[in-house]
Amino acid sequence: MLENIYYLKTELDTQGIFFCFSGPISQTLLMEIGETLRNKMHQEKTSPSTILKVFAMFVEQAQNIIHYSAEIVPEAKAGKGELRNGILVVGYENGHYYVVCGNMIENTDVSFLREQLIQLTNMSKDELKVYYKEQRRKAPHEKSKGAGLGFIELARRSVTPLKFDFRKIDEKFAFFSFRTEI
Amino acid sequence: MDNLKIKATKHTPSINFDTEKNILVLKGECYPENISEFSTPIFSWLTDYLKQLTNEVVIVNLEISYFNSSTSRMLLEFFLKLEDGVVKNGNNITVNWLYDEDNDSAEEFGEEFEEDLDSLPFNLVVKED
Repeated sequence: MLENIYYLKTELDTQGIFFCFSGPISQTLLMEIGETLRNKMHQEKTSPSTILKVFAMFVEQAQNIIHYSAEIVPEAKAGKGELRNGILVVGYENGHYYVVCGNMIENTDVSFLREQLIQLTNMSKDELKVYYKEQRRKAPHEKSKGAGLGFIELARRSVTPLKFDFRKIDEKFAFFSFRTEI
Repeated sequence: MDNLKIKATKHTPSINFDTEKNILVLKGECYPENISEFSTPIFSWLTDYLKQLTNEVVIVNLEISYFNSSTSRMLLEFFLKLEDGVVKNGNNITVNWLYDEDNDSAEEFGEEFEEDLDSLPFNLVVKED
């Protein structure tokens, strides 16, 4: 086990990952991590504009986990204080920052989400802007707990096309992972 | 009518809505987990405020350096409510969207709100140091 931790660190280092989290994530944790990431980038003389964009991606992806991850801490189910598990990664590679998230979702939600993401990856930045504005004027989708705008915003901000993957775990769950770059 | 004053937190802006001066100020970052918890009291105040307005000059200053996607919809709703006051009741409302020169995201978001508001005076203002 102990050797594995070092192995994990070297793995993360080779991919330029300077932040990695796996476990239950809350809004409080998001705020503290976000502030630390901003401080770190500030100390490294990253431009304020880039720092905010990385932070924005981090917030949207973390809040996706908070709202939608299907892996819920059993003791905290129902109502306030509900905790959901996920993975969040922030790294720097080839001159770009990137943010990756991963969480469990129910198999029944895979096709809806996949279609939505394929639709976004096929749109140009101008089309995404129009679509974003259209959706912003509409009431959120019934499944949405935020505004349903998160993925569109991420697609607009990402300098490379969104990358995503779905992996079936068992009869009930799949693992969803997602990457954006700035 | 009472003023509306709410202190800023790390993830919600300060609110300072002054009914005597008719200056409404929102300042800070906005990315709460649940935006409606934050926005409900603001909208209910705003509804009452707009109802009693006549032809006073109202200035709305927003200095929101970062906001998440659910706040984006809430802000549009906020502006559309103000625009309604202008169109339907002839209210004299001007919005100033203040942003730092090096915050191109805030500038773009401001521009996009402006594009979506045909009848609400909406100014993009670079903050002075």
